[in-house]
Amino acid sequence: MLEFLQRTLDGWLEGSAYALVGLGLTLTFGTLRRLNLAYGATAMLAAYVGAWLYARQGLPAWGVALVVVGLAALIGLYVERLCFGAIGSGGSTQGHEGRGSATRVGGGFDGTEVVALASSFALWMQLEQLAVNLLPRHLNAFPDLAARTEWGFFGLYLRPDRLAVAALALLITLALTRWLMHTRGGLAWRAAATQRTAAGLVGIRVGQVQATAFLVACALSGVAAFAVLSLEGQITPMLGMWMLTKGLVAAMLGGLGSVRGVLLGGWLLGIVEAHAQAAFGAVGREFATYALLFLVLVASPAGRSGLLGRGGLRHAA
Amino acid sequence: MPLEQAVGLATDIAILSLLALSAYLVLLVGRISFGQQAYFALGAYASGMASTLAGWALAPSLLLGAAVGAVASGLLAWPTLRLSGLNYAVATLALAEMMRIALMRLHFIREVDGYTVGPQGAEGFRDIRWLLENDVSPGAFLLLCLAVLAAALLVLAWLRPRRLGLALRQVGHDEVLAASQGLPVLRLQLLAVAAAGALAALGGGLYAHRATYIEPALFDPMLGVHAVGYALIGGLGTALGPLLGVMFDIGLLEATKVFAGWRMVVFGGLVALFLRFRPRGLLDEATVHRIGAAWRHFRRTS
Repeated sequence: MLEFLQRTLDGWLEGSAYALVGLGLTLTFGTLRRLNLAYGATAMLAAYVGAWLYARQGLPAWGVALVVVGLAALIGLYVERLCFGAIGSGGSTQGHEGRGSATRVGGGFDGTEVVALASSFALWMQLEQLAVNLLPRHLNAFPDLAARTEWGFFGLYLRPDRLAVAALALLITLALTRWLMHTRGGLAWRAAATQRTAAGLVGIRVGQVQATAFLVACALSGVAAFAVLSLEGQITPMLGMWMLTKGLVAAMLGGLGSVRGVLLGGWLLGIVEAHAQAAFGAVGREFATYALLFLVLVASPAGRSGLLGRGGLRHAA
Repeated sequence: MPLEQAVGLATDIAILSLLALSAYLVLLVGRISFGQQAYFALGAYASGMASTLAGWALAPSLLLGAAVGAVASGLLAWPTLRLSGLNYAVATLALAEMMRIALMRLHFIREVDGYTVGPQGAEGFRDIRWLLENDVSPGAFLLLCLAVLAAALLVLAWLRPRRLGLALRQVGHDEVLAASQGLPVLRLQLLAVAAAGALAALGGGLYAHRATYIEPALFDPMLGVHAVGYALIGGLGTALGPLLGVMFDIGLLEATKVFAGWRMVVFGGLVALFLRFRPRGLLDEATVHRIGAAWRHFRRTS
């Protein structure tokens, strides 16, 4: 029993990191209705520059944190301009089917969705290659903030640094939800996400809102990358793919676009993975991730995926 | 470039084109699949096992692979096809990853003619030696790959102006409209997805016999996402689009080693820029139409 609880606790802590990673993805999807495939690569390149500065220039950990977050936002700006910039700028840039065509509800995709996927994938490749060219070795040093002690209570153990990451995820989610739901700025974001045209008519600068949301999401990816990497004290080229898959699964479990959902989705994923690993080993853990994702996608009612209802930027899909 | 290398490169292009064509077929009926690599893998394993373990000849092995790919793709499409857009893309990705992980657990080793052969889980599947044992030269194998590719292209080109081809395109354009005109949308999509599975599996079978060694790690999401990328870059207007995408990436950039480690930096940036201005790819419907009109005009005047 105690072992089961310990495993659940470990899974929950790991899941909080997934939630942190998924936040940016869900925010981008919520405002733009587009998936940013370059999400992980953006954070990865920023983290690589941070690692390079740390190893070669002796930058302290707090400096690395600033660089990673700032650069992630900056690279995000580049990605946004190249792949997503056209979305907010008017009806003419929409795909051949036109915006929000009523007949598209049943399925299919519109032109810009495909283009955003393809071009953000191309940039993913580009950014990842840039990072690898910067630091070609597989393992690279990263500022190590991992705690050396463990807290024990009632026979359960947990690392304070992982708890700090979990608290960070919770804090950011709560702050973001509060901001979205209870401020005028948040209202503008939600309006721009739900009804682009109507939001434009009441004077919201939709393009600007979307670009800002995108930058915030990318900065969040930098925060997540720094938090996760500083627990490990090292960085590998797997980071980009890892962030995208874990973040995407967490976000989709909670319902893509829902800010609260990504927290619960991340927790669920972490706990399921921890138990799957104990039962079936590392391969089973990986399998469980995708099986869970697939089941949630297929079993959820049409038109809305994910386990949870609304919240944040989620609305009728 | 030495001839041998050119033959190898052309073979690669032909095989990858089959995979890109399969991604194109799914795109045609209005879905994005990030999971075509799963059927590529299934075809590779099925035909490899048929030719090494059961001692089948190449052609029936490839056909078996294609059949397995079509059946698996059709069956798995059943629960997923009602998902749309991004959800479908992620569901196919999840399925493909589950398949890849399952292949890591596939152990089926038998002794054939004193050798132990067969898939050995994560360590891969060695010695798919049908080509070597039967003295098939690389040139002859290239011809086979090109013939398969040409056959697939001919079928698609033949279908294009016909009822079925138009119906498929219409389903991709607008499902609800298609359904309201009495088209069996789900059945058409199932057909296209099953055919896409068969095409990918054919490519996989050819790949397995050319490489003689396959392992589950080869069939990761990167492969499937690349296939979709090729189709989108080349354009959705005709079946030649995916080919163009493959040639652009493999033929132009990988073959000419000008950029070395910076290939993806250049290629990625170019593609993103390119898609910004030509969202439906190089050969989109309008361009195909214009080229067709110009060709007809040219024929009339000369």
